[in-house]
Amino acid sequence: MSEIIQDRQVFSLLEVARSIQKTISDRYKSSYWIKAEMIRLNHYKHSGHCYPDLVEKRNGTVIAQMRANLWKKDYERISKKFLETLKEPLKDGIKILFLAKISFEPVHGISLRILDIDAGYTLGDLEKEKQAIIERLRKEGIFDRNKRVKMPLLPQRIAVISVETSKGYSDFQKKIADNPWNFRFFHFLFPSVLQGDHAVAAIIAQLKRIKKVVNRFDIAAIVRGGGGDVGLSCYNDYRLAREVALFPIPVLTGIGHSTNETIVEMVAYRNAITPTDLADYLIHRFHEFLLLVQKSARTVRESALRMAAEERRKLQAEVKLLNSAARNVSIKNSAELKACMERMTQHGRFICRDENQNIRQARMALERAATKLIANNRMLAGQHARLIVREAYFFLRDNAQRLTAAQSNLSAKSLAMIRENHAALVNAGRNVDNMDPKNVLKRGFSISLLNGRPVVHVDQVKAGDALITLTSGGAIESKVESINKTDTP
Amino acid sequence: MSESLNYAEAFEELQIIVAEIEKGEITVDALSEKVKRAAQLIKICKTKLASTDEDVNQILKELEESGE
Repeated sequence: MSEIIQDRQVFSLLEVARSIQKTISDRYKSSYWIKAEMIRLNHYKHSGHCYPDLVEKRNGTVIAQMRANLWKKDYERISKKFLETLKEPLKDGIKILFLAKISFEPVHGISLRILDIDAGYTLGDLEKEKQAIIERLRKEGIFDRNKRVKMPLLPQRIAVISVETSKGYSDFQKKIADNPWNFRFFHFLFPSVLQGDHAVAAIIAQLKRIKKVVNRFDIAAIVRGGGGDVGLSCYNDYRLAREVALFPIPVLTGIGHSTNETIVEMVAYRNAITPTDLADYLIHRFHEFLLLVQKSARTVRESALRMAAEERRKLQAEVKLLNSAARNVSIKNSAELKACMERMTQHGRFICRDENQNIRQARMALERAATKLIANNRMLAGQHARLIVREAYFFLRDNAQRLTAAQSNLSAKSLAMIRENHAALVNAGRNVDNMDPKNVLKRGFSISLLNGRPVVHVDQVKAGDALITLTSGGAIESKVESINKTDTP
Repeated sequence: MSESLNYAEAFEELQIIVAEIEKGEITVDALSEKVKRAAQLIKICKTKLASTDEDVNQILKELEESGE
């Protein structure tokens, strides 16, 4: 009870606290449904209790703020309900509709004790928020952006965003490695957590890394699986969805969950749902390409064969036509030839007959002419013979006379010539006698011999030489005493 | 096949040849050449399906060079 001190009524703190407690408990008898944004859950693992910070904002400004209590037992019950309904645990930053009792404790002051939270409300709110993000992406014109990026004919080089040890990643690898056509893929892991509060930033960081080497890849694939369906709200995050939508190469998702399609999956080039299906899709693209190539090969082969066959058929037809034309021409020609031959034979026969007749006539004419000619010639020959005999007689007679004259002429001339020659001969005999060496020696000349050879010049002889001198009546042997040369040579 | 045609170019050229052949735009004289060319192109496409020549080290190097 209050006491009076110096005319004043004074209350102890406890009395005030109890008064407030009484007033509040009188005023707020039941529990109330309250909506607020839970900016922080403040879950203490050790005690298991939570002390959520609740706010109400208007135009971004906090206009009301209170702290609430969520005791361990209540928290566990509510959290389980949330996981079932939202596939998300109770966490920071969600809007909640909760049932609370307003109380006042002298030690702790005013408090909101949370008894229950309506998961459906939060779900609806998240859905509303999701729709708002989709609407925003559409307004910004980027919602379909990644779907319009050109997919290469063969998505062969894959930048994989996943967790190295995850089942989804291993399923994906196994599937693309074991395809029955031996298609080859190249994939490179960009590791990232794929769920929970840190996933948004981690995935965005890996997308940015891929962008640096984007020329090395055909597609990016976000592959997840085996991690349960909890904590996938990151895929409804505006920043991540925007990054995926604006990615320069196709982004394919195989996140593997059974909840509603997330925004990231919506804006991706293709949502394959599971890692295995994603691998199947890639193999399918390869297979389609193979089929197209095979079809082209078949078309080329068949068309080529058809064209060749067609050409052969045309050629054969031409040959046939040519043969038949040739045969016709041949038949026609042979008939003409035959007729021609017949005409020629007939003609020849006529010619022969005419010619025979001509020949016969000519022969008869010739015989007649020859007979006549022979008779004429016989007469002429007689006349000629008589003429020749007479001519010959005169000729022989003339020649005999000329011969006799010549003979007598020749005798006279020969006699005169013999006489002249005899006189010349006698004269010559006299001259020869005068020139005989013996006669010369007799006239006082001598011949000197040296070694049996005549000396014709004084230079042949030297003092002491033995000389033999021939002169008329004998030979003189002498020795040369000396030699006197005359001046004249 | 000295020219280094990539598979996409090879496939495109192949489709052109197929279209020409199907439309009968090719003479018998040119057919042989076209068929030979098509065979080369088909080989390029099929080879691509079964092989990759990507280099992990090169990608790592490029990531490093870009400031990691």
